[in-house]
Amino acid sequence: MTAPAWVALALLGGGAALARFLLDAALAERVAGPFPAGTLAVNLSGSILLGVVAGAALHGVALTIVASGGLGSYTTFSTWMFESHRLGEAGRASLLWLNVGLSLLAGLAALSLGHWLGGAL
Amino acid sequence: MSILPGEALKLTLYFGEHDRHRGRFLSEAVLDLFERRRLAIGILLRGAEGFGAGRRLQTDRLLSLSEDLPLVAVAVDSRERIEAAVPELVETAGDGLLTLERARFAGGDHQPEHEPHEEVKLTVYTGRRERLGRVPAHVGVVAALHRQGVAGATVLLGVDGMATGRRLRARFFAGNAAVPAMTIAVGERERIAAAMDELNGLLERPVATLEAIRVCRRDGRALARPRALADSDAAGLGVWTKLMVYCSERSEHRGHALHLELIRRLRAEGAAGATALRGVWGYHGDHAPHGDRLLALRRHVPIVVPIVDTPSRCERWFEIAAELTGETGLLTSETVPALRIGGPGGHSEGGLRLAGPLP
Repeated sequence: MTAPAWVALALLGGGAALARFLLDAALAERVAGPFPAGTLAVNLSGSILLGVVAGAALHGVALTIVASGGLGSYTTFSTWMFESHRLGEAGRASLLWLNVGLSLLAGLAALSLGHWLGGAL
Repeated sequence: MSILPGEALKLTLYFGEHDRHRGRFLSEAVLDLFERRRLAIGILLRGAEGFGAGRRLQTDRLLSLSEDLPLVAVAVDSRERIEAAVPELVETAGDGLLTLERARFAGGDHQPEHEPHEEVKLTVYTGRRERLGRVPAHVGVVAALHRQGVAGATVLLGVDGMATGRRLRARFFAGNAAVPAMTIAVGERERIAAAMDELNGLLERPVATLEAIRVCRRDGRALARPRALADSDAAGLGVWTKLMVYCSERSEHRGHALHLELIRRLRAEGAAGATALRGVWGYHGDHAPHGDRLLALRRHVPIVVPIVDTPSRCERWFEIAAELTGETGLLTSETVPALRIGGPGGHSEGGLRLAGPLP
């Protein structure tokens, strides 16, 4: 990793965190129901993009910057867990398991879709 | 400072965690103002979910919507001292919603049995470090209220404020042991009086206020409607209604959490604002006092949702609240004699002069 690569990693990571926050907040406010749709949308879109990157066979420093820096800070495992826990606190057990299950299954499907798209590029 | 029994005024400011005043947080500016003016009681509460005029939904359920939670600052003192603080507070508060309500400090000639209406709201202020025997003071207060058959009680824990004369702020690493707490109880005058007698024997110097309220629904029973009021009094001063819903984190309406459904419906129908405050201990109706339990994932704390608007608009919010409390919960109404909404589109008919006492 060269100095410009570190800078690119930091910039892309910061920008991606910002994009995640804005998209999540905008969606969550529109949906306004108990289901954390904003975080799901962020994680699924991030999975598609990572699939594209992997499918397009990006490698080396470019892969580190885009995958670890960008998509790593865009998607969020801890928020997924946090909001699932909050659903449990509120006694919404079915929504808790829907959030956990749907994120897993749809996440894998999104990654496959992205991989196929990336390969077709 | 010592608190004398008698007529008092309760000031409430509804705003947001992000609101600023001259480069600092409004919450700090407001609590500093309370402290500087040595108001008898000052307390800052953080809401769990809510929205304000033109403001987006804020909730602690979703991480990205939880950085600007609703805040409620309450101060109580004599009418003169509160009215003297109002102009400075209005200048500081920007576009928050500010209300003034009549209250009485309990003690001397001002006892619950002298209250004009059959139902009374009693608010008891304690410090969280204060203890009653082996339990925190607020738990002992709730136990006494429950023993005397008072309809409901909710303990709200402050994040900043003045309890027993000293400014105590909840800090991340400070253990938060000394923050003030307010216990709000609603019930029949005689039962509140009996509870007050018991509290006088338990607490060294109980600090409590009495307010007139009307219980509209309790545990699914329809008891009354809010007072039918014109939007202004005979002298043209504005009058407002405050509805309060008391329920628990576990209360449901058709499979939805009652307080979340209430906030959602009010927001969808265009209400000016509503805030859900999460208590730490309490009960309503026939339940035993409850709070969160160690190692239990599901929360079990009480919730209070105040809704303030003009009497005519509150008719609609009452229909919604009455529908949602159709099976459980407590719904009360109060009269607010002065209110101000700042900012663009804000109004304050009659300024913050109190509308006359209503018959």
